[in-house]
Amino acid sequence: MPSLFAAFNASASALDAQRTRIEVAVSNIANAESTRGPDGQPYRRRDVVLGSAPVETFDAALGRAEAVGVKVNGIVEDQSAFRRRYEPSNPDADKDGFVAMPNVDVPEEMVDMLGAARAYQANITAIGLIRDTITRALDLGK
Amino acid sequence: MNDITDNAIVAALGRQMTRAVARETVAASNLANLDTPGYKAREATFADALDDQLGTTPLPMAAASGGASIGAAASAAGGTREVEGVAARRDGNSVQLDRELVALTRASADFSAAQTALAAKFRLVRYAINEGR
Repeated sequence: MPSLFAAFNASASALDAQRTRIEVAVSNIANAESTRGPDGQPYRRRDVVLGSAPVETFDAALGRAEAVGVKVNGIVEDQSAFRRRYEPSNPDADKDGFVAMPNVDVPEEMVDMLGAARAYQANITAIGLIRDTITRALDLGK
Repeated sequence: MNDITDNAIVAALGRQMTRAVARETVAASNLANLDTPGYKAREATFADALDDQLGTTPLPMAAASGGASIGAAASAAGGTREVEGVAARRDGNSVQLDRELVALTRASADFSAAQTALAAKFRLVRYAINEGR
């Protein structure tokens, strides 16, 4: 029998994944102008890679409806080229006066963050409905 | 003849609840994978579950006497299948937020309906056990 708690765990894993997305988007925005990181290089934009993962493999083995959660497969650095800005007074400028700026596009990050927030909300709603169902089931014992 | 502890009804209501839980589980899984690239939305359908109950041939339903045969079967676990006829996004994901929320709400309501009926049934039995007190 597919358990409601498995569905609960699936939604909870999504909350975790979406929160990670928001955190990464926030750190991208925060570092949109960071021209020197610990390695001396400008900040590189980070991206979250999501993948689906069964919560309980037992149900699938029996050919039943299984709860599929989501997990963060990794956080990768965007290898696209840095933006260049002419700013000769900056200590990080090269000999032509250009500064390599992080490859972060702020509007893009904002959109990503909105999407993650919406998905987070949807999963909160799902958890609420599942919780109601569990409560109803427990009411039978009264 | 129906008596107060009619097991077929209790079993049927129990199965309706199990089905509702399965649908809720699938919808919750789809919602969890709202942004997973390549994930295909899944669904658990009533027809699939009914086929599971009756076997692949429609014969048992015709042979048995009405609802009792459906009521007498053992479990209501059904598999899932990919949702057909929905457009996938560019990342290959075919989950639609509104569709899944509706499915989740509907499953939850179905569960509540069955639970209400089952609770009433139990109340009746308890009433009889307590000699009407």
